[in-house]
Amino acid sequence: MDAFSMGLIAAMGALATVAGASEDIESDIGSQSNPNSQVQLAAQVGNPHRIYNKAISGEPPANALWAATAAMVAYTLITAFQMPALLALVAGASVAALFNGVFSISSYFGRNSSQARFNQWVYMDIVRYTTPSIMAHAWITAFCIATISYIMVYMLPTPHPFPMPIIALIWGLAVGAIGSSVGDIHYGGEREFQNRQFGCGLNTMLSGQIVRKAEAGLRNSIDNAWFCTKFGGPATGMGFGLTVFLDNWRTTIFDPVTQASLAIAMGIFFIILMVVYNNYIERSVRAKYGPYPEYKGDIAA
Amino acid sequence: MNFDINTIVYILEILVGGLLVGIGVHFVPVGGAPAAMAQATGIGTGTVQLAAGSGLTGLLAAGLMMSVTDNLWLILASGAVGAGIMIGSTMLTGSWIYAYAVGVPFASAKVNYDPITGFSQPPYVAIGTVGHGIPTICFVSGLIGGMMGGLGGAMIYYPLYLINGNAALSAMFAIGIFLVNAVIASWNIQGTIEGFHDPKFKKWPFAFKACAIASILLALASVLITGGA
Repeated sequence: MDAFSMGLIAAMGALATVAGASEDIESDIGSQSNPNSQVQLAAQVGNPHRIYNKAISGEPPANALWAATAAMVAYTLITAFQMPALLALVAGASVAALFNGVFSISSYFGRNSSQARFNQWVYMDIVRYTTPSIMAHAWITAFCIATISYIMVYMLPTPHPFPMPIIALIWGLAVGAIGSSVGDIHYGGEREFQNRQFGCGLNTMLSGQIVRKAEAGLRNSIDNAWFCTKFGGPATGMGFGLTVFLDNWRTTIFDPVTQASLAIAMGIFFIILMVVYNNYIERSVRAKYGPYPEYKGDIAA
Repeated sequence: MNFDINTIVYILEILVGGLLVGIGVHFVPVGGAPAAMAQATGIGTGTVQLAAGSGLTGLLAAGLMMSVTDNLWLILASGAVGAGIMIGSTMLTGSWIYAYAVGVPFASAKVNYDPITGFSQPPYVAIGTVGHGIPTICFVSGLIGGMMGGLGGAMIYYPLYLINGNAALSAMFAIGIFLVNAVIASWNIQGTIEGFHDPKFKKWPFAFKACAIASILLALASVLITGGA
C-alpha cells in the first residue's frame, strides 16, 4: 500500500458516488424502473400526465449496457488507436449517451402512443427538453464507471484480471441495482405521492393517483429531478460509493497476496457494522414515529 | 479435452455454485415495485436485479483474489464478503430513504414479532400496505442471501478459470450461469419475498431441483470450452 494507490481508491470512491447519484437522477427524469409502474398506471386510471415514460428495461441491465458500451469503445480506442485514456473515455461515454437517447425517445413514443385510448398524449416539447437531460446524466454515469474500470485494470498495484468492458458491465449492473433499490424509493414512495398523508406507505387504493400539478403549472420530469437530487440521488451515490470504496480499500490497504485473510476479516467487520447501524435506525424510527393510531389488533406496540 | 476425474470435480463445483445462487436468491428480501412505493417490506427492486448486482460484485472480488492466489477458501470468502458489502450498503442506504424521506417505521407483515429483535410488527404496518422498510430480520436474511450469491459466483468462476485459464471468458460464463439460476429462483418466488421467515421460503426445494438440472446442463457445456476467446 502506498499513497498513490490510496489516492486512486479515493478517486474511485468519489467517481462511484457521482455515478450513483447521476444514475438515480437519470432514472428519475426518465421515470424508469419500479416507480414507473405508477406512471404507466396513471393514464389507465384516468390521470393523463406530462411525466417522461421510458421503461427501457430494469435499471441494472440498462446501466450495464451504457457502462459496457462506454468501456468497450474506450478500450478499443486505447488499445487499437493508442488514444489518450481520458479522451477515449469521453468518446466512449458519448457513444453510450447516444445509445441512451435512442432508447429513451423510442421508449417514450412507444409507451405513450400505446396509451392513446386512455387520452394520454405524446408531448413533443417534453421529448425535446427532457431527453438531453437524461442523456447528460447517462453520460456522467457511463464516464465514471468506465473510468473506475480503467483505474482497476491499468493503474492499481494489483491489476484486475478481467478486461475493462466486463468490469464496467458488472459495476453497471451493481449501480443499477443500487439505484433501483435506494433512489427509486424517494421518487416512488415520496415524490410521486405527495398528495397523501405523510409517514405511511402508499395505500393500495391510491395506486395510479400520482401528483400531476407542480408549484406552477403542470408537473414534468425535470421537477422530479429537482426534488430527487436533494436526497434520493446523493443516497444512491453513497450506496454505490461505499460499495466500490470499501471493497477496494480492504484489498489495497491489506496486500491480497500476503494479508488476504485480514482483507476478508475487514470486510466481515464492515458487514457487522452495517447490521448494527440498520438496527439503530430501526429502533430510533420506531421510537420517534410510534405505532399507527388506526391499528385495531391486540399485539402491543 | 480429457474427460477425467478433475472434469467431474469441476462439474460438481459449478453445480454447487449454481445451487448456492438459486437458494441464495430466496434469502434476499425483495419487495419489487410495491416496495419502491413503501407498499411492501424489503428492497424496492426485482429479485434477479439485486442478486445479480451483489453476486457479481462478489465475482469481481473473487476474480481479483484468484489472480494472486489459488487457495479456494480465500477466493470463496472474498467473493462472499464482496457481495455482502454491496448488498449491505444497498440495504443501509435504502433504510435512510425509508426512515428519513418516506418517514415509515420498518415493519414486516409476514410475522407478528421479529424473530431476531423480538419487536412487534403489526402496529407499525400502515393501513393498505403489507409492511415497509427493512427490519433487522430482513437485513440479516438479505446479507445471507447476497453472500451465498457471491459464494456461488466465485464457486462457478473458480473451476472455469482452471479449465480455460482465461479470466474474461470465465467471467462471462460465470455471469451467464449466475443469471440463469437467479431467474429460475425468482420464478419460484413469484415477485416478492421477505427472507427466510417468509412462508414462501418453504418453496425452495422446487428451485433446488430446477437449478440443479439447469446447472448440470450448463456445467457440461462450459467445461467443454477450453479456450478460444
